[in-house]
Amino acid sequence: MQLDPNTVSHNRNKGETLVWLSASGLGLALLMVLFLLGLILVEGVQVFWPRDLVLLELQPETDSLAGQRPFLAGSIVEKPGNPGTGSGEWKLMVGNKDLYGTAYRFVPEQAILGRRPAEDLVVAERVEYGKAIFFPLHLITPSGERIEAGDPHFWKDFKASIDDVRSRFLAIQDLERNRIGALNRKIHSLERTRRHLLRQQRDGIEVDPRHLEDIEISRDALEEQFQELAAEVTRLRREQEAGSIHYRLASGQEQTQPLGNLLDVYRPNRMNVFQKGAFFLERIRIFLTGTPREANTEGGIFPAIFGTFVMTVLMSAAVMPFGVLAAIYLREYARQGLFVKFVRIGVNNLAGVPSIVYGVFGLGFFVYFLGGTIDQLFFSRDLPNATFGGGGILWASLTLALMTVPVVIVATEEALASVPRGSREASLASGASRWQTIERIVLPAAAPGILTGLILAMARGAGEVAPLMLVGVVKLAPDLPLDATFPFIHLERKFMHLGFHIYDLGFQSPDSESARPMVFATTLLLILLVIVLNLGAILLRNHLRAKYKTSTF
Amino acid sequence: MKRFFHSELDTLKSQLILMGEKASAALRKSARALSEKDLDLAEKVIAEDDAIDDLEIQIDREATRYLTLRSPVASDLRLITVAIKASHDLERVGDEARNIAKRTRKMILKKGAIGDTLYIPEMAIMAEEMLRDAFQCFIASDAERASAVLSKDEEVDALNKANFKDFIHKAKNDPESINLYLDLIFISKSLERIADHATNLAEEVIFLTTAVETRHQN
Amino acid sequence: MMAASQQPDLPDGPPDPAGRDYIRLQDYSFFYGANQALDTLSFSIPKEQVTALIGPSGCGKSTLIRSINRMNDLVEDVRHEGDILISGESVFHPHIEVISLRKRIGMVFQESNPFPKSIYENVIYSLRVSGVRRKSELDEVVERSLRAAALWDEVKDRLYENAFTLSGGQMQRLCIARAIANEPEIILMDEPCSALDPIATGRIEDLIYELKKHYTIVIVTHNMQQAARVSDRTAFLYMGRLIEYGETESLFISPRIPQTEAYITGRFG
Repeated sequence: MQLDPNTVSHNRNKGETLVWLSASGLGLALLMVLFLLGLILVEGVQVFWPRDLVLLELQPETDSLAGQRPFLAGSIVEKPGNPGTGSGEWKLMVGNKDLYGTAYRFVPEQAILGRRPAEDLVVAERVEYGKAIFFPLHLITPSGERIEAGDPHFWKDFKASIDDVRSRFLAIQDLERNRIGALNRKIHSLERTRRHLLRQQRDGIEVDPRHLEDIEISRDALEEQFQELAAEVTRLRREQEAGSIHYRLASGQEQTQPLGNLLDVYRPNRMNVFQKGAFFLERIRIFLTGTPREANTEGGIFPAIFGTFVMTVLMSAAVMPFGVLAAIYLREYARQGLFVKFVRIGVNNLAGVPSIVYGVFGLGFFVYFLGGTIDQLFFSRDLPNATFGGGGILWASLTLALMTVPVVIVATEEALASVPRGSREASLASGASRWQTIERIVLPAAAPGILTGLILAMARGAGEVAPLMLVGVVKLAPDLPLDATFPFIHLERKFMHLGFHIYDLGFQSPDSESARPMVFATTLLLILLVIVLNLGAILLRNHLRAKYKTSTF
Repeated sequence: MKRFFHSELDTLKSQLILMGEKASAALRKSARALSEKDLDLAEKVIAEDDAIDDLEIQIDREATRYLTLRSPVASDLRLITVAIKASHDLERVGDEARNIAKRTRKMILKKGAIGDTLYIPEMAIMAEEMLRDAFQCFIASDAERASAVLSKDEEVDALNKANFKDFIHKAKNDPESINLYLDLIFISKSLERIADHATNLAEEVIFLTTAVETRHQN
Repeated sequence: MMAASQQPDLPDGPPDPAGRDYIRLQDYSFFYGANQALDTLSFSIPKEQVTALIGPSGCGKSTLIRSINRMNDLVEDVRHEGDILISGESVFHPHIEVISLRKRIGMVFQESNPFPKSIYENVIYSLRVSGVRRKSELDEVVERSLRAAALWDEVKDRLYENAFTLSGGQMQRLCIARAIANEPEIILMDEPCSALDPIATGRIEDLIYELKKHYTIVIVTHNMQQAARVSDRTAFLYMGRLIEYGETESLFISPRIPQTEAYITGRFG
């Protein structure tokens, strides 16, 4: 055959154009992903870094902070140009929301006269109103001693008092949240039983009076314990009231705060890089393990991490057997015909249904129908209070499982189809039944592919928010779905979720400026959690691939 | 690695050796019948030729079967082709021996006396040696000794020529006994043919062991 | 011109005591949907001999061999007519369970298809699915089968390694060991050497020669030299019909049907 050189080169050039086009498409997509990840990484990480404070002297007429002096202290968030000359505005985190009304301020560069030394500026984390940034004046210790800010012992004593305050604060939190909560639940449960028995008695059913007595005795004992704990809390709270700090803001206002309001104090301008690093790690630790405060803008997000994790695991546990069994039936048993073809098209289209529709379905089917029925049958004594009849982590997981089941079915079907025919035939020819062949030969060989499906399902499920809002996610859930109270797993409880947390912080928070850093940090964390879950599944898949390697090549 | 069918080649080889034994025995016996004027021995040689013919057919069939079913190559293939050709040569040796025996029988029955056989006994000894050597080389796969067989063939040819000249000369002097001399000339010719077949065998052994062609080289 | 297919070697009736009709096809036809793959085949396969099925692609060799252990049941939309008898008993008889039938018949496939399991587990797979658990029994079966498959000496020190660490020829011998682990009566081989190099092929052929002392072997092969080397009897199929069937030697040296001659000499089509 004669080849026309012109045609050949023409075709090659055309091909090359397409290669370049597809390559640049990939490059663009990668660039955008990298930019997004980079932004989230930078913004998310620097939330925890203690930033240096600046003290700015402003032109007197620009100060609108109702202070006596034209000064402003805070950390720079955005700095487009230089003081005095630029035309932009500096964005400062100035804290002191109780006095300034907002924690962030924009200052025109024209109005900035210059920077002044700010060595003595103190940042305080408070129980309420966010951070305070101030020059301390004097400290009244809990024992009543007065120490001036100039005293060489001042900082040490101040820190020590704050440490005491913080440990008391945590103790109060533990008492209120865990121990009193657990007692409350026990009392509540006893009370329910008692009321149930009384109702039965009223309806003429024989009830053992000793049983009622026992209940009352144990309830009284619990009440007593409750009183003791409550007294302990009151005592601790009173201790928190002792001692105070008197300080002056850069803008001149003076204020006295009880020490109990402060959680932590630090002087960022006096910290070296190692101290800052240690502080950074400690803040990350608090973020990961603590509970939220201040409308979620402060504190940690452990309940949300835990909720997301448990929900994803529950979802995987639900979607795996369901999807895999469905795929096995479709691929291995069902007679390949028009009906199966339609089912397959249906399954594929389910993947395109908007997730909120699944949320509505979950609410209607799982929560109202299934949950309501369960309540009627098993928790009727609690009605009208819903147990399973309200949103909860179980229903949320099942809703997401339903949403991701097409992904698993499609992936599993493909994995099953790629198992070599020879393996199946060899198994059948050895006298194995169809199910034995599937169980012993096909499923192990298809396992890596099935896990790929699960990875995809997990990635989709963990990042999904919209349906969860209908079936059990809340902005603040005091109780985790797993804890030390019997029966330890509480699938009916509402839960927190990182994705919803991001939405709530970013768009529902009354102070969106203060919430902004937390949005980035939480996003970063959600991405990391998805990566960790995926990595786990990928490692498992690689392990299985090596184990069930079907080729030496 | 030895394949399950390789033992069939050994069987073929031993059949070929058996045929060689039978052919050289026929030659030896026919020469003795001539020199000792032993009529019984001559009859025996004539009768035993059928066994040699049967062996040829057997070897041919076995070789064909092996060619068809085992698709041999290289030395296995050479062995098969050599077996077919060697069995043919040996069958010819058997035939020549039978011819010698037949002519001996005729001479004994007609005349009772044979007279001077000149170099015929010597030729018979040499031809038998050549056959034996060729076979020993076949058994031992020894190409070098086989080459020695080739040189002997010329001596046998020379003796045959001398025989021819002398028998013609004698026939001229004694026209009465012309038939006797013709028989002796044919016996000499048969022995020369046997030596030629032995040479062929030697050449085949060389081809079998070294895959070098030595036929028609001069 | 199509030569009439040969008459069965033995007439209908009770099984031949010498086992010459160990596997007997009686007017066996097979259809994939509307396509007829096998056309009223009638012949007998003798016991403890190697019978080769040869013929061009699509002649129905594989369909035939897969009919014997009913592997064709797995294909949708197929049907058959006539009967296949093993020791006088129909494989399609309602009281014969296909699973127990397959336990009596080992099968080796074209591509060596060991399971992604250890060598040991591969060999005892058929026992595992039958529920055999006794370790001593399994150990014994593994050694016996691997020895019979001429693989024991090569793998005895690595029985628990993945079967895919073996070479192609070893894998195929492992598949043979797996096929004979259950002590079947019949071994079906569907082009067992087509993916192997000549050395490995030679080993498998020698193994077949050894195995025929205890097993009845039916082998499908594209390689006529192989059919000639390993089989005692050869059947030539063309377009679903049996053209010629007889002793391998006579079929290859002097075929009676011109079509057979044309096929085995390569003057076909």
